Amino acid sequence: MGPISETRMAHELTIEPLGVSIEVEEGQTILDAALRHGIYLPHACGHGLCGTCKIEVRSGEVDIGNANPFALMDFEREEGKALACCATLRDDTVIEADIEEEPDARIIPVRDFEVRVSRIWDLTPTIKGVRLALDAPLDFQAGQYIQLAIPGLGETRAFSIANSPAEVRESGEIELNIRRVPGGMGTGYVHERLAEGQSLSLSGPYGRFFVRKSARLPMIFMAGGSGLSSCQSMIRDLLEEGCTLPITLIYGQRNRAELYYDEELRAWAHDFPNFTYVPALSEERVEGGDVAQGFVHEVAERHFGGKFAGHKAYLCGPPPMIEAAVTSLMRGRLFERDIYFERFISAADVQRLRSPLFKKI
Amino acid sequence: MDTRLEKKKLSLRERYHLMTRGLGWEPTYQPADKVFPFTTYEGIKIHDWDKFEDPFRLTMDAYWKYQGEKEKKLYAVIDAFAQNNGFLNISDARYLNAIKIFIQGVTPLEYYAHRGFAFAGRHFRGEGLRVACQMQSLDELRHTQTEIHAISPYNRFFNGFHHPRHWFDRMWYLSVPKSFFEDANTGGPFEFLTAISFSFEYVLTNLLFLPFMSGAAYNGDLSTVTFGFSAQSDESRHMTLGIECIKFMLEQDEANVPIVQHWIDKWFWRGYRVLTLVGMMMDYMLPKRVMSWREAWEIYGEQNGGALFNDLARYGIREPAGFRDAIDGKDHISHQAWLTFYTYNPLAAFHTWVPTDAELDWLSAKYPESFDKYYRPRLLYLREQEKAGKPVANKNLPLLCNVCQIPMFFTEPGNPRMICYRESVYEGERYHFCSDHCKAIFDHEPEKYVQSWLPVQQILQGNCFKPGTDPTAPGFDPVAAVLDYYELNVGRDNFWYEGSEDQRNFAAWRAAAQNN
Repeated sequence: MGPISETRMAHELTIEPLGVSIEVEEGQTILDAALRHGIYLPHACGHGLCGTCKIEVRSGEVDIGNANPFALMDFEREEGKALACCATLRDDTVIEADIEEEPDARIIPVRDFEVRVSRIWDLTPTIKGVRLALDAPLDFQAGQYIQLAIPGLGETRAFSIANSPAEVRESGEIELNIRRVPGGMGTGYVHERLAEGQSLSLSGPYGRFFVRKSARLPMIFMAGGSGLSSCQSMIRDLLEEGCTLPITLIYGQRNRAELYYDEELRAWAHDFPNFTYVPALSEERVEGGDVAQGFVHEVAERHFGGKFAGHKAYLCGPPPMIEAAVTSLMRGRLFERDIYFERFISAADVQRLRSPLFKKI
Repeated sequence: MDTRLEKKKLSLRERYHLMTRGLGWEPTYQPADKVFPFTTYEGIKIHDWDKFEDPFRLTMDAYWKYQGEKEKKLYAVIDAFAQNNGFLNISDARYLNAIKIFIQGVTPLEYYAHRGFAFAGRHFRGEGLRVACQMQSLDELRHTQTEIHAISPYNRFFNGFHHPRHWFDRMWYLSVPKSFFEDANTGGPFEFLTAISFSFEYVLTNLLFLPFMSGAAYNGDLSTVTFGFSAQSDESRHMTLGIECIKFMLEQDEANVPIVQHWIDKWFWRGYRVLTLVGMMMDYMLPKRVMSWREAWEIYGEQNGGALFNDLARYGIREPAGFRDAIDGKDHISHQAWLTFYTYNPLAAFHTWVPTDAELDWLSAKYPESFDKYYRPRLLYLREQEKAGKPVANKNLPLLCNVCQIPMFFTEPGNPRMICYRESVYEGERYHFCSDHCKAIFDHEPEKYVQSWLPVQQILQGNCFKPGTDPTAPGFDPVAAVLDYYELNVGRDNFWYEGSEDQRNFAAWRAAAQNN
């Protein structure tokens, strides 16, 4: 997915009703390509037995691969159906998949950018702010992320854009807030070796984490660690657009030294009456009433009296925070259709066994 | 004015919507409450039927095409199996006793499911749920028919296959699956879906499919295997219906949570008790074994069920009340059931036996904590008695649990040397139960379970004799009279496998097919 030039044969796949076009490599399945581009297609068994990932080929040509005859019937093959988990492309192809149309999703093609580090500074003892000057305008939806190529590593790392689309347009720069992952090669490079003036390449925007503005519902943002970035971009974007719906940010860190952008957020809360800012510390003992004590989900439960129905919730942070926040929200009667998040999964996170009860949370 | 609008092609979702929800209407001749009286009487509160997430997007026209093609494929295999004397290729004729239990005890449940989903589909208000139930109702009817057709070739050659419909309403051990499903079918539509779509299809169905379909494959039964494939492509649809219905109830109103919790407690335990029969088949009745009941339970019950209950905890649902006791029972229930069936075999329409030495060793390896200590010595004693020409037969009618209707052979959790007895007194009558959980089900709705048709009580009351039988006649043999009422082919359908007609015939036919 990185900005690496392609020499292999590839075909273009357009996925309706999203209207998104992606590149699919020779031999790569439609499902694999879609998932790697951040497009969720319904699927289950992953090897042609259950039929959950059935799609319709509108134009072009696919090889249906190893689909089981009971999962993809002969008449369906004649009608141009295929299973995304085993179908590969033979030509540029348009398919239609069973996906929810998102009225607030914008289709923005992913592009490669050359950038220069214009500033790098300490936000906290573990988080660095990095500003990157773009060689061309970057269009994105607040909440989306980019893939940064780490020099010498041959790999990319995903980082959310921390400033708002308007601010990116004005300054020609994107801001990233990068926490050092202990032992992490990518974040280690940024913290130890990245220097101002250095050139980097990145691609973006990626992700389906964005504000469902058309829902016109009060919003809860819950952020932990460096997960503040995307929430900050989204809130800033809303406030700049003149949104008057209630917006609440519950923002947690371990201690006060890690609570970066606290002053700025307090200033926003002062300037915008519809924005409520609730900072929280989980480890350091809180003295005085300007910061709440506890984990983000606990503070959110207290703040909302355990009742969350009637909101849209946006979560960003480490997996345990997301897990706890989802549980709190659901106990407070807010369910899957109103909860959104981008999960930061590092290689160290082991996935626990999940049931098919939930699709995305 | 002739304005032409560019018409956008409908998306799959929109098309589905028009073909299902778009077909609904608001009744005007009668108020909706009167048209759908059962949607509220269980206490489940629904505020917005449109929030039900359709578990699959299949429209009726596609459904017919889809099932039609499946039938063609399945019947081609069934015909080939019959024409090529496929029955000679099974591992051993003992295997067929598992298939006898299937046609006697499971196939009729498919028909009950057909009726249950037709009822639920009629009584739900939301079109999404109605369409899903309607399709499943048709699936279940098709499963009934295809199961009968897949298994019926055996009836030409073997005993115990000839009268399943008659037995289902009379035979003592078949009252276990029968009463289970009748309990579900007499609940309201929401309880029915929780019982069958969720607890049974989702939580427990893998445990049912595994021994039958994998077991059929391992033991060379191509006909039943192909039926399994054709049914399994429906099962994923059925399971998602259960999951979506549970989520729908839990999300629609907080007051639904305790009602759903009670149903999950109840139906987990009811389903688990019925699966005792399945455990026995896995451990004892498949000559080529797939895996032990304990192993299957650990994967599908403990791990997958555990993951599900972890996820459900977000809704405030806890694991079923009987979950820990079910885990405790994994080392015991299959053995306890087989020992019971062995000693009651003169009254059953299939055969039992003592496992071979190699099979006993397999059981020891699979049940290191329980088999050698509690069950091997008893099986060896039965073998000894059988060899001496005195097979152990129990002629006393057993005490049945008033809820699951299984004879009271289960032991106390944590103490496999002590039979578990529980009882409740209701309106001066004493009722007996096999476990805390069956007792809890009774205590919650005693007025329902006092009506249980318990085979033993019915026999003792004289309700299981053919008309005209005179129990006061000199030399009256009540057991013979009951077997006559069952229309059992005494000496062919019942008794032990060793020395049975099935055993002799299979050996002779196989020899004829393989020798000159």
